[in-house]
Amino acid sequence: MKSSQSTESAGFTRMAAAGIKLHPSCRARQERFGLLFYDCRGPRLLFAATGTLIPADFFGTVRRRDEFPAGVSESQKMALNKFVTQLLEKGFLHEQ
Amino acid sequence: MSNKYVEMGMRSPVNLTWEVTLACNLRCSHCLSSSGEKACNELTTAEALDLVEQLHTAGVFQVNFGGGEPFIRPDFEEILAACHSHGIMTCISTNGTLFTPELVSRLSRNRLVAIQVSMDGAKRETCDAIRGAGVFDAAIAAVKLLAATKIPTSINTVLTTQNADEIPAMHEMARSLGVSLRVSRFRPSGRGADNWESLRPSPAQLLGFSDWLASSGDVRTGDSFFSLTSQERQGLGLNLCGAAKLTCCVSPTGHMYPCAFLQTDRFEAGDLRRNSFQEIWDGSEIYESFRNLRIHSCEECQRFDQCHGGCPAVAWHLKNDINGGDPECLERCVTSIADNRLAEAA
Repeated sequence: MKSSQSTESAGFTRMAAAGIKLHPSCRARQERFGLLFYDCRGPRLLFAATGTLIPADFFGTVRRRDEFPAGVSESQKMALNKFVTQLLEKGFLHEQ
Repeated sequence: MSNKYVEMGMRSPVNLTWEVTLACNLRCSHCLSSSGEKACNELTTAEALDLVEQLHTAGVFQVNFGGGEPFIRPDFEEILAACHSHGIMTCISTNGTLFTPELVSRLSRNRLVAIQVSMDGAKRETCDAIRGAGVFDAAIAAVKLLAATKIPTSINTVLTTQNADEIPAMHEMARSLGVSLRVSRFRPSGRGADNWESLRPSPAQLLGFSDWLASSGDVRTGDSFFSLTSQERQGLGLNLCGAAKLTCCVSPTGHMYPCAFLQTDRFEAGDLRRNSFQEIWDGSEIYESFRNLRIHSCEECQRFDQCHGGCPAVAWHLKNDINGGDPECLERCVTSIADNRLAEAA
């Protein structure tokens, strides 16, 4: 995403109240490299080198936009925040 | 498509083709599995339901059901329901001739099902010449029933020399019916091998189709045409054969293969009556050989990054060599046409 930091922050603030969840047409599972996302509408795949940072079922329930698993560091949160933005843009996650 | 991660090896297939029966009420001349009579010793209902449990445990995202005609199996809806109860997405390839409003109503109650109705021409005579008399009308009726529901529906067409000129019309027909078009590659397996010479598209038709696909982004091809993928369609699908890496095939009798087009003894990866699904996926030497398959003869090709040697099944059936590169890839089509022109000029 090429938006500026301020725009990202604004977007983050705007979306903070909304819940996000795996799209009904999508699935995720743990692989050695991290999470593998599948979208049956394409079908499309997304390979995310997240390691074990996020459990595969994490987005199976509605999460706050800024909610991450316990034990994630601040720098990891920043990376995961960008990752979530990417998942939303690509349609693997959707806002509830 | 991130090959780096694919090459690390997946814990299980992303999706798989499960041919639930060989029984079919049609005798299509291009049928990849020579369907007709039910096979001896097909998986029982209990065995099929056990396989669904194993697929769930393995983390398989989607099962693509084919055959034969899946709806001939009396327990097919039970197998579907078992998949859906685990959140496994399903896609059914059907000839559409057995569809009734009641069946479509039952199918439409679940959001995890998609349906592909096979048709092989925009004209009745073209389609019926391949699939049998009356099939065009029956398939259209099925598509209309499905289009009135929320079931994601597509018309699935196998590109042959007979229908190559009708593909744009099929695209239009699908649009007018409110469904999508999916075009699959004709491969020389099953009855398709018997009728290969009379049905295979010419290199010029394949090139023309590739050009048309480039401007028809909403047309799906599954993993059929990565060997022909133009620059414009990069990113819409695979750029390599996914057999044994991302997908595999289960036969009606519970044998596993790299893909539906390689269901021969030579490529049998395992028997689900002897080993579990996961054991076969993890331990099959055949699967391992496909995961390590490198088409070195294609590595110098300018299109190598786009197809990685193309379809090993076509290479096997036409050249008896899965390492030989796809004989019908885009580059070879261009070369073939140029050679013919040179020969004619000489």
